[in-house]
Amino acid sequence: MPPAGIRFFDARRVRASSTHADIDNGIVESAGTSFSDISLVRVLGPKGWGMVSANNLDLSGKGELNRVLAEGLALARLTGDPVELAEPPRGGHRVPAPREDPGTLSLEEKTGVLAGIEKAAKLPGVTSTRATYVERTEEVSYTDSSGYEHAYTITRSGFSVLAVARRNGIAQMGRESLHTIHGFNLRHQEPLGVKAGETALALLDAGLAKGGRMRAVLDPELAGVFAHEAVGHASEGDLVKEGSSVLAGRIGERIGPDTLTIADDPALTEFGFEPVDAEGCRTARTEMVSRGRVNAYLHTRETLAALGNGMAGHGRAEGGDPPLVRMSNTFIETGDATLGEILAECGDGILLVGSRGGQVDPGRGVFQFNAEYGYLIENGEKTRMVRDVSLSGEILSTLHGILLCGNDRVMHQGYCGKGGQSVPVSDGSPHILLSEAVVGGSGTD
Amino acid sequence: MAVELIERILAAGGKAAQEVEVYLVEGTGISAELKREKVSIATGSRDWGVSIRTIDNGRIGVSATSSPAKWEECLAASLASMRLATPQEWKGLPDPAELRGDAPSFDDRVVPEPPAAQELIAGMLEGAGKHPVAKVTSGSAALSRSRVILANSRGVLYTAERTEVSCSLETICGQSTGSEFDHSAFLGIDPVRVGERAAFLAEYSAKGTVLETGQYDVLLSPLALAQLFGNILVPALSGRNVHAGRSRLAPLLGQKCMDGRIDLYDDPFARGMGATAWDAEGLPAARLDFVKAGALSSFAYDLKTAYRYGAGPTGSAVRGGFSGGPAIGVHNLVLDGPREAVTGDQALYVHDVVGAHTANPVSGDFSVECQNPAWVEGGGFREPVKKAMLSGNLFDALGEIGGIAPGSRVVGNSILPCVRFKGMQVIG
Repeated sequence: MPPAGIRFFDARRVRASSTHADIDNGIVESAGTSFSDISLVRVLGPKGWGMVSANNLDLSGKGELNRVLAEGLALARLTGDPVELAEPPRGGHRVPAPREDPGTLSLEEKTGVLAGIEKAAKLPGVTSTRATYVERTEEVSYTDSSGYEHAYTITRSGFSVLAVARRNGIAQMGRESLHTIHGFNLRHQEPLGVKAGETALALLDAGLAKGGRMRAVLDPELAGVFAHEAVGHASEGDLVKEGSSVLAGRIGERIGPDTLTIADDPALTEFGFEPVDAEGCRTARTEMVSRGRVNAYLHTRETLAALGNGMAGHGRAEGGDPPLVRMSNTFIETGDATLGEILAECGDGILLVGSRGGQVDPGRGVFQFNAEYGYLIENGEKTRMVRDVSLSGEILSTLHGILLCGNDRVMHQGYCGKGGQSVPVSDGSPHILLSEAVVGGSGTD
Repeated sequence: MAVELIERILAAGGKAAQEVEVYLVEGTGISAELKREKVSIATGSRDWGVSIRTIDNGRIGVSATSSPAKWEECLAASLASMRLATPQEWKGLPDPAELRGDAPSFDDRVVPEPPAAQELIAGMLEGAGKHPVAKVTSGSAALSRSRVILANSRGVLYTAERTEVSCSLETICGQSTGSEFDHSAFLGIDPVRVGERAAFLAEYSAKGTVLETGQYDVLLSPLALAQLFGNILVPALSGRNVHAGRSRLAPLLGQKCMDGRIDLYDDPFARGMGATAWDAEGLPAARLDFVKAGALSSFAYDLKTAYRYGAGPTGSAVRGGFSGGPAIGVHNLVLDGPREAVTGDQALYVHDVVGAHTANPVSGDFSVECQNPAWVEGGGFREPVKKAMLSGNLFDALGEIGGIAPGSRVVGNSILPCVRFKGMQVIG
């Protein structure tokens, strides 16, 4: 039984070691390992949450636990928002065994393989190259006032490679990255270094896109970012509850074509995989949009109790930060159109390729993201390469305007920021065709 | 206790490396988070961390830990990192120096206790109440105190006390959103004004009209400007990017690179969030002029980059916390120049931008969605705009500006005015 005045408490401890290597133009700028140990204790008082975040918190002794709970309760008494919690789904997924455990490799070996990828990017005409490796192993332990306990260890690792090409005062860049939960993934990846170099060189000859409203084809990477930014964030239960989402109050409403299904699945063993969520809940797939209709929201126990329509298990936290409703592996389900059919249906428009990231204002229902580059589509054919193209739009009208979903879904990895926390995610989609998109570009002809 | 630990690390590290540097941070904080108009979460935090750099024959290693008991493991990891690093020209960590004592980074009145956070929350809600059509969706208030100690094996032992007070509020009116924030090292930020502005922006923008795609003069607020500067300009001023061929400004040293009215400098003693008397490697902090009357006069260097390329160190090392080594950055980036009224003729005012992090830092090209855009004319707001996307190149836009407005605002590690830009591409 929790102490008097406390309805519920839980504690999440993350002990982590982080390894990085940074090779810049052939020089090992830095490579090394750092360590952290941080805990968050959440105490649900008569109304809302009091939380205590601290390094090196050892709660195995009853005296220390009681002291922290008292501190949390005092903080909880400052709150006025009545919080209820839905019943937690229990049980966890097994963390996949790594194909090659990065922990068994020396830092020298990792840095050596990374150097090969960086070197591969140095094509004639490329003036600058940089490659970085990141690896983080987290030992996560969770316990709560019901006596439930769960612990797991997971390692995420990956690399990125950047190439810059310069000619006549013009500089352009190409960037490739690959991250995974399945072990050391740098071997035989020199072709990605070459691709980064080739992209930088090709962009030197690319034109500027003329901005405006037009038909657009999004490649799987950018369409995945679209699913994440435009639909995923707007489906987060905390934003829906606050009234900060255009999807609030639209359960069952048609917002896209029958062929459109958008889901988030933290149980999928992609980069955003969570064996249990940050509240110790079992993780599972949620379809936010199902056959064109708003189907469910993403939830923590708190937002599920407040809103319904979905399941808990989507709470994620960076280190000792509080769990927030977050996406994990978000994707548009595969359709049946081939890329050729999509380009032909587009007619005249633009193909946007790759992503430099994006951002959304889910309350206003407006998103923005930048492609790495694009191609004009003329008479159904991919033609001239263009650079520095972006896409913005209104979530609902853009979803309504999806004309075709391709049959070629691919997942890409990245990190998502919310509330000052960054967590690993993956996004994916097949190629999709939008009937009208607001394309940004500073070209005038 | 912290100093004793530092001495132990320096002594042990000195047996295996020529030089050792210890950077230690400890602090406490409190925050309160609003959901709609009620406090939903109150959090107390205690932070501790140490970063250790070891240097031997031009090889630099780094490691960090948040556990005092793990300092030996951390030191061993730093030494392992050092042995792996590519050796480079190295002329030593800084010696102790006389420091200015007037860096405005600490206010003894800042107490991270619940009443202060509650007062900020109440102020924001009072301000938002002046525009009741707009509803509060979320917000936060936070206060913190921390102590930062930097020591090295050459005898440097500097301590700085820091405080921070911040508050922010987000609002919505129909499908129009507004947000505002303020932060300072000192008590005295105005939560009522923050709340009022957040609610006003949501209410005003709700009546936005459609904008025709075209070329318009644009007024970027300090907030919008800070986003673009942070993602494009600051990286281009980094000596590392300059010498690595990733800065468009690289070939322009001594030449005109911006409008002749623009001065751009880093002032560690200005009343901003980055105020400090010493940089993250222990060099005395000093004003650094990047651009004087439009001409590029300097880039920013940390010790490593300065030694490698034979440049003079500029005291530009910064750290984002204890977890990692120092990096090149700015303390308080200031844009200044002759001030004038900039809202006489029609222009599109942009309060904030969405997606600045997607800009191309090498070329300077960006394309961002505008938050709370509005037409200004005749000295004030004329009409809100529903949706606008702004595309351009920051370096080109800074080449000939339309004017610098009176007043400046602290936004993170920058202190910026509102600037008028000429003929930018805006897509409606």
